[in-house]
Amino acid sequence: MSDETFPEGIDRRRFLTVLGVTGAGAAAMSGCSTDKVEKLVPYLVQSDDQIPGIPTWYASTCTECGAGCGLHVKTREARAIKLEGNPAHPVNAGKLCAHGQSALQGLYNPGRIKGPMARQADGSFKPVTWDEAIALLGQKLQGAGGKLGVISGAGRGTFSDLLSAWTQAQGGRVVRYQAFDFEPVRAANQQVFGTSEVPAYDFAAARYILSFGTDFLQDFVSPVEHQRGFAESHGFNDGQMAKHVMLAPRLSLTGMNADEWVTLRPGSEAAIALAMTNVILAERTGNPADANGLRGALAAWTPEQAQEASGVGAEVIRRLAREFVSAQPSLAVAGGISTQHRGAIQLCAAVNLLNYVAGNVGRTVKFGADLDTGDGYGAVESLLRTMEQGQLAVAIVHDANPAYSLPKSGGFAAKFAKVPFKVSTSLYLDETSQLCDLLLPGHHALERWDDLRPRKGATGLLQPVMEPVFQTMATGDVLLKAAQKVGGAVAALPAVAAPSYEAHLKAQWLTVVGTDEAWRAALQRGGIYGDSPVTSVRLAATAANVTYTAPAFDGEAGPEGFYFAPVPSVMGDGRFANRPWMLELSDPVTKITWHSWVEMHPETARRIDVREGEIVQLTSPHGTLSVPVYITPGIHPEVLAVPLGMGHTAFGDFATGRGVNALDLLDAKDGQGFLPYQATRVTLARTREFKQVAKTEGTTRQLGRGIADAMTLAQAKAGMTPALARKAEGHEEHEINTELEVEAIEGFRESQLEQRKRGAYAVEGQPMWGMVIDLARCTGCSACVTACYAENNIAWVGEEAILKGREMTWMRIERYWEGGEDGDPLEARVVPVLCQHCDNAPCEPVCPVYAAYHTPDGLNGQVYNRCVGTRYCGNNCPYKVRYFNWSAYNKTAFPEPLNLGLNPDVTVRGRGVMEKCTFCIQRIRGAQHTARLEDRELRDGDVVTACAQACPSNAITFGNMKDPASRVAQAQQSPRGYHVLEDLNVRPAVTYLAKVLHRAEG
Amino acid sequence: MRNLAFLGAGSLLLALGALAVVPRTRPVQAAQSASDTLPAWKLAAGDTANLKGPKQPVFFRHDIHSGVNKMTCQYCHYSVAESSEPGIPTMATCMGCHLIIGGSDSSHKVEIKKVRDAWNAKQPIEWVRIHSVARHAHFPHMRHIKALGPNACQTCHGDVARMPQVFKVNNINNMGFCITCHVERKISRDCTACHY
Repeated sequence: MSDETFPEGIDRRRFLTVLGVTGAGAAAMSGCSTDKVEKLVPYLVQSDDQIPGIPTWYASTCTECGAGCGLHVKTREARAIKLEGNPAHPVNAGKLCAHGQSALQGLYNPGRIKGPMARQADGSFKPVTWDEAIALLGQKLQGAGGKLGVISGAGRGTFSDLLSAWTQAQGGRVVRYQAFDFEPVRAANQQVFGTSEVPAYDFAAARYILSFGTDFLQDFVSPVEHQRGFAESHGFNDGQMAKHVMLAPRLSLTGMNADEWVTLRPGSEAAIALAMTNVILAERTGNPADANGLRGALAAWTPEQAQEASGVGAEVIRRLAREFVSAQPSLAVAGGISTQHRGAIQLCAAVNLLNYVAGNVGRTVKFGADLDTGDGYGAVESLLRTMEQGQLAVAIVHDANPAYSLPKSGGFAAKFAKVPFKVSTSLYLDETSQLCDLLLPGHHALERWDDLRPRKGATGLLQPVMEPVFQTMATGDVLLKAAQKVGGAVAALPAVAAPSYEAHLKAQWLTVVGTDEAWRAALQRGGIYGDSPVTSVRLAATAANVTYTAPAFDGEAGPEGFYFAPVPSVMGDGRFANRPWMLELSDPVTKITWHSWVEMHPETARRIDVREGEIVQLTSPHGTLSVPVYITPGIHPEVLAVPLGMGHTAFGDFATGRGVNALDLLDAKDGQGFLPYQATRVTLARTREFKQVAKTEGTTRQLGRGIADAMTLAQAKAGMTPALARKAEGHEEHEINTELEVEAIEGFRESQLEQRKRGAYAVEGQPMWGMVIDLARCTGCSACVTACYAENNIAWVGEEAILKGREMTWMRIERYWEGGEDGDPLEARVVPVLCQHCDNAPCEPVCPVYAAYHTPDGLNGQVYNRCVGTRYCGNNCPYKVRYFNWSAYNKTAFPEPLNLGLNPDVTVRGRGVMEKCTFCIQRIRGAQHTARLEDRELRDGDVVTACAQACPSNAITFGNMKDPASRVAQAQQSPRGYHVLEDLNVRPAVTYLAKVLHRAEG
Repeated sequence: MRNLAFLGAGSLLLALGALAVVPRTRPVQAAQSASDTLPAWKLAAGDTANLKGPKQPVFFRHDIHSGVNKMTCQYCHYSVAESSEPGIPTMATCMGCHLIIGGSDSSHKVEIKKVRDAWNAKQPIEWVRIHSVARHAHFPHMRHIKALGPNACQTCHGDVARMPQVFKVNNINNMGFCITCHVERKISRDCTACHY
């Protein structure tokens, strides 16, 4: 049964007893519906673009990070229910990351502010009308006399242009603030190339990728674009693949995908980059020619010196330099939060030189697109100084949460409090809006008109895909209305003459596109998309000044002081922490959900005698926090890493009081124009208190079971199968069955093949659905997991249930470690695991009520209304992909208004049923309906599962295995193909292609 | 819960009426006696208590619209051939005719005035739902229309054209009702054809 509950006074077990003994339950059973009177409420007037039961799609633009990916928003009956990438967009080409997918839970978040509110004399907020609110804002602005400061997190576009003009007309000042900005990259580019632009990185073209600590797959510039390009070059294609080397003290998501992880002392990356540049220049003529001018300046930076600074062997540095320059083109990346120590500018500058001498600038490092960034931390600090000095009368915070995302040691709250009148346009009651006097909640990005110019060549439009959920107002309209109240110069702005922000936006666009038709075409497409321009850059005179000095760290040095690494995780800069999908999504590296942790190397843990789950107290000169230990080999022994983005004190029920805020330990002093995230050392004290770590990781090692298989590049080139590759590596044959058992299995197989020609499975013309997952492309980013949650109405279960192993991730990413012991390099393996839809499924014969059964089109079906919850199937599943619904999640996991985002095509499961991946059967049936209405057969590509659709790496292929021309049937032919736990003879419909390792030679 | 997404939809259309079309060999149950003996338009609009089926806020006469005036079902249930949902007519659809047609006698006039008042007040009429498939079953109306033709509605819904007040003729919530037809017509009996 799906969503019905049992009558009061009769529990499920009692119900079954009655049913079994007397059959009296039959009457109650029939129909499975209540007698409650349902109403059918018609529209007054039919909407032009909504047909009940048929989704309507709108093009829009993602605002979850600065990359500005294009969106297709699926709406049903005027509610947004799913976000997918816009295939026409040059940045994401139809793909979308987990953060972008979760925007839906930002839209329908129960923590949203329901309407405008003003602070009362007693300190509480009282709802006011929009007219009152805007009148109050106008009055305060009039009295401000130009002493206006605005902090805005909005991306570059018509809105931010309007905000600037609006603020300047009143004599005020706007700071465009992004918590994760790229100030060191910009400063270094200014120094080396004379431009402060952030370049676009072309991972797809690179044959050799070297990351200096940058987690470019998760949190740097444009993650989906990087992911796509990385899979293109680093995936195994026709015997070719790029090599990826990661130089970092901690193994991030990007590091997990490296062929070689070189661990080093934090802060020393620049020394290696300089030494590599020196080696290249010493051994060959620089290309372009002006690179040769650097020879003298760099001659002092020898690999031996770099070895001393970093702990990385000089020979390794030489080898990397030679590999880097001989692969053409290559790409070195630096920047981002993970290396934002006090030497970050030096690092980015050194890597600029490295790219330049290897001839990569213009080929894989492309200037000219002018990627959008914030104004930088220096601008924020200077605005805060004016607040502190009492020079502001009115402060407005838009789309930013500085009270959370700036370290407490900077004293934001105290400085902000000196502003007499503070206004927030935040959608949520977060740390900053709590401090404000007037709340003017804006529309969510899916509810408003807007545009974004994240880079030259890609201008994205946003359009409201539905009526606002709450009594909010687009901030653009607030600005226009307030301007009329204020009068004077701001009321004279041409924009203010527009009747609404929408009209202003359209007028702006008409000056570019010309006609109404072109405007509508742009709206339909999602914006104006094209190629970004590429400008060539040359070395600036200051390029030769690039140098390396060991960066300073705050806090205790010596054996008691650990380098403190706050790392970006699923929560980003904290803006995703109020979304249950994100809280429940396992961190790609540690697999921990719902709370904070500190990563520690096993050696360190042994030395100070702590075990996993012990709560330790970390102390820096700036603060203290207590957090449970997670022991992982993927970190330098002298480093402790804590994820950023948790430990909110406001921001809705989901975020508040969950985990710790790693920023509490940081110094807020700027010095070089950026926030030094990685410049702190901490001491550690044990508390002898424990907290069970809520992780979805089981065993961290594969124990020879061949779950996430891999082979070397040479083996893959030779066309070896994973089994042959294992044999070649000297491993024993992977056969767990005895000779007799093997014989029995063979016989059974034959009889099965015979059986297939008869009975229900022999239906002619039925497809046979199957999937191929290419592990050479999969990075473990987990976009598929969130896509699956969104598509299939999967309930989040919360920390308590995860501790009991009761998560319901139909699609999960398993992560295993390889090596890392006895001098072997540590390698990570990731494998997406979902229902394998076995032909010979062990779950099916054990179901006493035939709820688990095989469909004629090759699916492992699960009929919820039949399921009585014996859980036999789950116990018999070797893949652990069947999830039991232990609680009435249909009632608790979708609190108003999150329920509005549910997919109406998928049953919301109630308590007591088994559920699992269906291969998105609603999409299969939907495509079959469409094909039938159009009098045609299904075509390859008609059915795309939610995971395959979202996957930024294009690692997942889905289709009809019976059709030899289908992409899935072709992909299955790859010699790299294998089935997980093949020995069990369950004949899965999911084929994995073994990962290919581009290991160091020799 | 398939319909949950609609529950908070406020004034939006809850277009989930089950207007289905599977023809059956079993003879369709006769419509109720009142309309058998009286010409449809003679039936007083207030006399709904004796009729089968739930009383609706407006005594909407399917027998007059569909039976006497021979309007096709799809004039109002507009999406039945393309969507899983048949579509409930918008108030604008009602007013398209009733802006002009005010009713031939006083009992009709009373009911039509209710529709006009609702239109003027911009308040949709909240109909009582009669046909509703359990939420764990998916019934694609368009597939059934495609297979059986545009006039096959009565297969499941009975002879609505002769019903002054619509009532449930067949227990469409009983899976046996669906399966009988699927067996007879050799259509898929796979569980996941409907349950997912």
